[in-house]
Amino acid sequence: MIVAAILDLQLAFKVLQLRYWQHIVNESLKKNIFKVPVHCAFGHEAIAVAVSEMMDPLDRLVLSHRNIAYNLARSGRLQPVYDEYKHLPSGADGGHLGSMNLANPDRGVIYTSSILGNNMPVACGIALGHLMLKRDGIVTALTGDGAMEEGTFYETLDISRYQKLPLLLMIENNKFAMSSTISERRVPIDVESMCRAFGTPYFFLTGNLVFDYAAKLKEIRGIITGDATPAVVEVDLSNLNRHAGPTPGWPSDPMNIDLKRGLIVQESACDPVHVLKQKLDPEIFAGLEEKVFSENWSG
Amino acid sequence: MANYIASVNQLIMSKCSKIPGAVLYGQNLNNGTFISGLTKNIAVHETGRIINTPNVENTLCGMGFGMMLAGVKCVYFVKQLDFMLLGLDHFVNTYNFIRCSRNINELGSFSIIMLVCDQGMQGPQSSFSGYADFSSMARIACYSITNNQDTPRILETVTQPGFRMIGLSSRLCRSEFIQTNLVYSADDNSVFQYTEGADATIVCFNFSLAEGQALHKKLLEKGMASSLFSVNYVPYPDWTRIRQSVAITGRLVVMDDSKSVHLPAYSMLDAIAGDNLQFKRVVVVRGPNVDFGIDPDLFPVNYNDIMLRLGV
Repeated sequence: MIVAAILDLQLAFKVLQLRYWQHIVNESLKKNIFKVPVHCAFGHEAIAVAVSEMMDPLDRLVLSHRNIAYNLARSGRLQPVYDEYKHLPSGADGGHLGSMNLANPDRGVIYTSSILGNNMPVACGIALGHLMLKRDGIVTALTGDGAMEEGTFYETLDISRYQKLPLLLMIENNKFAMSSTISERRVPIDVESMCRAFGTPYFFLTGNLVFDYAAKLKEIRGIITGDATPAVVEVDLSNLNRHAGPTPGWPSDPMNIDLKRGLIVQESACDPVHVLKQKLDPEIFAGLEEKVFSENWSG
Repeated sequence: MANYIASVNQLIMSKCSKIPGAVLYGQNLNNGTFISGLTKNIAVHETGRIINTPNVENTLCGMGFGMMLAGVKCVYFVKQLDFMLLGLDHFVNTYNFIRCSRNINELGSFSIIMLVCDQGMQGPQSSFSGYADFSSMARIACYSITNNQDTPRILETVTQPGFRMIGLSSRLCRSEFIQTNLVYSADDNSVFQYTEGADATIVCFNFSLAEGQALHKKLLEKGMASSLFSVNYVPYPDWTRIRQSVAITGRLVVMDDSKSVHLPAYSMLDAIAGDNLQFKRVVVVRGPNVDFGIDPDLFPVNYNDIMLRLGV
């Protein structure tokens, strides 16, 4: 019980730390410090930490353009990612990949694509490679409610089930594709029914509580490896920042994220940090927050 | 003598069946017509796998790069070049990522072997024959295999790191497999030379070697010896060998049977002309009057006119 509590606190700390790092990136974006466009992911912290926790050493992660939360979670450090955005040799990939293609093979992030729908076929190939090389581990591919409109989503459902690929397809459903909401651009898609048509297990995550997400993903990973099947996870989340660049995006922007106001961006269930604050003892939350802010960050 | 498709099929299967751990995959590759004979008798190394896939071309192209990233060697067999238009995103964007971020020699390899549907009887939507365009956009090697000399050499690339496309001509499928001698081949397989002569230089692009060989024979009948070359689409080939030949012969015939507008042949002409070489040139290409409907698509060549223009 005590061990579980310590592990939970570690998860909570990682969510807060990830939020803090994103604040630093956002503040730097406001000052136009970076050479490349960055897509922040305020609101994605709980699922990003949970995915990172789920991964075994031989697991692989395939990301999309909005990859900052996952890259930071896997890296465990802000500096290499920050330097990559500054196009510096000290960056995570020597300043070659920038933001939208940032990968980190040493930490399992093997491929990242800025092209909508492009990464799912590549993930299928990596998963098939796992089978050919008799390598343990699964491949997790991140996509979104916008990218899953591409034909490759359907194709991936088809071939991944046919070849029994060890693939976890993670749909981050933030209800937006750039500035268009789902209802502004298409009909609702019942992903569960699509998965049922292919015989692929489907799971829905909501609530933004990192402990729940981590536990559920470990269970799903067990299904993928135990039953030799791909699986689809749709996670309900909100992107609390502008599509790209800093938030606010312009002087009169009603959406405003400011580190001076603390880690929480929105006092609602949409914000994983707010959810943690509601869940944890106030003193424990304050202690974690203090620990995060005490990090020696030079920039 | 076996025909072109049977001969090339034999060489391909002999090569691919020996690659340890290879994945050979594609649509209908182990049933029906075996992709018009391309994959007949397909076999794989005991550690490999043959996958008869669903019709998901975009994903199949992306998967090849995924397998490459995972360290696997794979070959995707395709019925028609125009199907590969669905995979262009991966040839350009996905491969750029791999080339940028990785030591490519530590990864697996990805090859696409396909028929180029250039016999003209499939209909307006199946007449795309110039894959120099793929080569240019993605900066990759696209080889046209036509004869007993280039086929085994180009197939050697299948096990090498990186990505390439290897095309066969459906127009040549039922013809005799072209037999040639080899005078020279570039290390990167960009330029092959089959004969050496001091009176004319013939350079064939895409799948026009048969027509080039016919011209070579007609010139011989007139007592003229020609140097016969074929060129594969490799980014920035070394034109030195061809330039040296033109400097000797003073006559250059360029043939390209693809339907693309911007042809590598023009780049070669620019490079050679830039040396202030004086030579007679004849360019045989399809030009603006391509028939996009059902048409025999024979790449007709007026040999008498060429010889007249060469001053023969």
